[in-house]
Amino acid sequence: MMKLKAFRIKNFRSIVDTGWQNISPDNITCLIGQNESGKTSVLEGLKVFYSGIISEDVLRSDLSLPEVSCRFTITEGWLIKITDNPGTELKELLSGLSHLELTRSWIADLSSVINVSGEISQYLDSLEDAWRIYLNDVTLKLEEEMISIRDMETSVAKLNNEESDIRSKLVPDEVKVLSFRLFRKKPAEVENQKNSHFPGLKNQLNVLQKQKEEINEILLKKQFVKKAGEKWKNLQEKCTQIDNHLKELSLKLEERHQRMTLLMRSIEDDPDAEWKEVLYDYRKTRAERELRIAELDSHIAFSGYIIEGSTEAEAENKVSEIIQSYKSHYNSAFLGKKYFEHCPVFELFEDFGSLLPNRIDMEDIISGNENVEGYKAARNFLSLAHLDYSFFQQPSSRILKQKIENINNTLTRNFHDFWQQSIGRNNKIHIQFELEHYNASFLGKAGKPYIEFWIKDEGERLYPKQRSRGVRWFLSFYMELMASANISDKQMVLLVDEPGVSLHARAQEDVLKVFENIKDKIQIIYTTHSPHLVEINKLHRVLAVQRDDLDSMRSTSRILDPLQLSSASPDTLTPLQNILGNPMGSEGFSSKRFNLIVNDTGSFYMLNAIILLMGFKGKICVIPSTNISSIPLLCNIMMGWGMDFAVLLFENDEEIHMAEYLKSSVFKTDSNRREIIIKMPGAFLNSEDILSTLDFKNHLLESREGIPVPNSVYLREKELPRNFLLSRFLSNVKEGKINAADFDEETLENFKLITDLLAGLK
Amino acid sequence: MSVEKPDNPDLLSLLPKKDTDDHLASLRYAQMIQHALMPDPAILKGRLKDFFILFLPRDIVSGDFYYAFRTRQKMCIAAGDCTGHGVPGALMSILGISFLNEIMQSDINLNANRILNLMREKIMQALHQTGNSNDAQDSIDIGLCIIDYVTRKLQYSGANRPLIMIRKGELTEFKPDKMTLGVAPVKEDSFTNNCIETQPRDSFYLFSDGFSDQFGEITDKKFKYKHFKRIIHSFEVLPMSQQKEHLENAFNEWKGQAQQVDDVLVIGFQL
Repeated sequence: MMKLKAFRIKNFRSIVDTGWQNISPDNITCLIGQNESGKTSVLEGLKVFYSGIISEDVLRSDLSLPEVSCRFTITEGWLIKITDNPGTELKELLSGLSHLELTRSWIADLSSVINVSGEISQYLDSLEDAWRIYLNDVTLKLEEEMISIRDMETSVAKLNNEESDIRSKLVPDEVKVLSFRLFRKKPAEVENQKNSHFPGLKNQLNVLQKQKEEINEILLKKQFVKKAGEKWKNLQEKCTQIDNHLKELSLKLEERHQRMTLLMRSIEDDPDAEWKEVLYDYRKTRAERELRIAELDSHIAFSGYIIEGSTEAEAENKVSEIIQSYKSHYNSAFLGKKYFEHCPVFELFEDFGSLLPNRIDMEDIISGNENVEGYKAARNFLSLAHLDYSFFQQPSSRILKQKIENINNTLTRNFHDFWQQSIGRNNKIHIQFELEHYNASFLGKAGKPYIEFWIKDEGERLYPKQRSRGVRWFLSFYMELMASANISDKQMVLLVDEPGVSLHARAQEDVLKVFENIKDKIQIIYTTHSPHLVEINKLHRVLAVQRDDLDSMRSTSRILDPLQLSSASPDTLTPLQNILGNPMGSEGFSSKRFNLIVNDTGSFYMLNAIILLMGFKGKICVIPSTNISSIPLLCNIMMGWGMDFAVLLFENDEEIHMAEYLKSSVFKTDSNRREIIIKMPGAFLNSEDILSTLDFKNHLLESREGIPVPNSVYLREKELPRNFLLSRFLSNVKEGKINAADFDEETLENFKLITDLLAGLK
Repeated sequence: MSVEKPDNPDLLSLLPKKDTDDHLASLRYAQMIQHALMPDPAILKGRLKDFFILFLPRDIVSGDFYYAFRTRQKMCIAAGDCTGHGVPGALMSILGISFLNEIMQSDINLNANRILNLMREKIMQALHQTGNSNDAQDSIDIGLCIIDYVTRKLQYSGANRPLIMIRKGELTEFKPDKMTLGVAPVKEDSFTNNCIETQPRDSFYLFSDGFSDQFGEITDKKFKYKHFKRIIHSFEVLPMSQQKEHLENAFNEWKGQAQQVDDVLVIGFQL
């Protein structure tokens, strides 16, 4: 079985290259990030890895073509089982592999091919490289031979010329006499010349003839090399022509992509036939190119043997041998295709339109009529109920009804394990289906069975469509997932884009419960903006997606893994900071500031108010914990991210205990040996005690009753909304409604204590 | 607690004799309790060079009270004046003493003004004062000093009660905040803390308004605060015990046969 371990997406929408991103080993991976950061592109990238189908609008403006790679974990030895006759070396490699990489890459016509990548392709590439080196060597030799042949032929031509010259000098006697007459030379002179030159010329002629014979003899021997060389040149020219033609076609395709990308819609006025012709031509030419290259390679190898002196027949035989020895009978594409058959199904749940219908005919279910409304949801429903058609064959309607009622109860119970919402206090919804028959008023259907669905509560019995969008969404989602987990015989990677956007916070947490339940069967990757869909104690599940340039939607997306989250922008980390309690969008974990962890949001408000009131300029970032028990987790995160931080603890029992716990079980000092557990100076039980009682009443409570106990005790005893009061206080400070001059000396003295403490943290 | 000042102070005379005896006995017992709650002057001995406490309740029980609390390093001295006198005043004074004890025992290192701030909170809470017009208007005026023997500093904070200091024959008055320990008419503010670098032989006086508000038998006028200061100033060279004697004589002379209108409390101490 293949289980997705990591992915890498290149040139897909806003993504240039994500680099390898590991998904969570516990099968639930969460992508967080702002709108337009590229989260959905990641999901779509993974989806098209599986489907292979892309459109122009996923292309980047530079038109570089997408490439999506996935790394899967496999059990060692599994590849051997599914690879026939891998050969010794490949077998050895495959047997030791515990992961497999597949890469889908697209070409100009937007068709794609799956290749095996990673170690296997490296091995196959090394074979290919050796083959190419061999062919290059042969090509060089062939070129040398061709040059040598050409030189020899030139030499022969030259010798021929020289021979002609000499021969012209050795003229017959009658010609010489005629010349004598014509030029009025004396015969004695001519005779003298003849005596002095003729013997030399004859010798030269002999030498030339000898040389020519030698060269011709060699040329004769090399006639097959020459023939091979000429064919090589022809083939090479053809390949060049094909390449040029492909380039032209690619340009045409790119132009179209460019127009489509710019228009962001299909080009309606594009003559379809012409476009199809181009596409056909492109694909045909690519196929032809592959054939021609194979032919060229084979011919080069053939030429090598010819150069070595083999006969053409011998060379033909040797070529197939050498190809076998250099090249595995597998290539990356072949193996990629083979292994992809075992790849998990990647399913993107973006559209839950296939909601549970009000009713569906049994006939449609039996015939698998996918076009009927709600077919998928009804099928999922029956799958969850472990029902098939035979169930409805029960002859006794009483027994059938009883069985249906039992199933309804079971389904509802199972659903309630995940859906905790109540309508009112204790009123939970019930899922119900009933087998009915059309009456006579339904012409053509009278007497035929149909299934009717209800979602009912104690007050109402409503059709699914009459229920809220949230309930319908969750129910459909629940059924899809549970059914997929039940029926899928293949591993599945479920991609969910912003699940539960229409759900209440608590129901969103229920979505997480469903994820947890199915994660052993289905790997889940989902995007979210919701803090309720991120588990703070499982930050290893989080990948942050953000733009390189946060202010530009044209910049590229990048993904930050859990260990890099500290360098993500505050906006990207919003869901996390909301969980941790940080309510200020512009603030957050900071690697450039000193992070001071405080017990809760209320203290966060108070400390920020003090910072503002006192005009404190130090680079301090106050980080609120959700509650005191979350402090060790925050500390671990900070330590993991290598950030400067300290924990500020107040003088209450819980925090005193926490200080002891942190000291004993976690740490005392950071890597620079700085104290990171800071006890609040003064006997402040909590941050509101920093204010004098009078200021507490004046600025926080806006009340005048006597408060003889510490402010924090008063808030607790009276069960007052602490966070609200402190938030309002900070808000008033920000708006300038409260200034430092409005506080008494006791409060100001306390403020001074705090700012001195903060100053000491730098 | 709402207190109405009785027009006729001798209400007991209206009661049958047996009832009167019972009430008197009850009041005497209450007096003992109130005295028991107030500190034994002996705790001031040894720590102060000299001191006196002139305590002249108008009735058997008093709305004025004095308070002292000391540790090795610090001593707190206070003179309180509760709304009204007699039983209602006494009950308020018991509240005041209890609150002071609570505060001092919890943290002696509090500044004088913070003690008053805290006391006010306790009183407002005890009397359910929230700033509404129908709140009980009872309160305590008080002058409170914290003496630090190590730093030789004296902190003073006053709720309508001033502090008089006489240093080398010169009288200095430290004015109090014009607020009481109880709900304020408009808004409660923090009390002010006065920090005084003391010198040997400095004399300090805390007091209620009973002395200066006393009507004279002959003049039918109040003694007045400026005369009170003058008389204090004129006695300053005398030992504290003699000062007390002279003050008491002066008070009695001024009052003559007239009715004492309020409880009288003057605390004098020399460092």
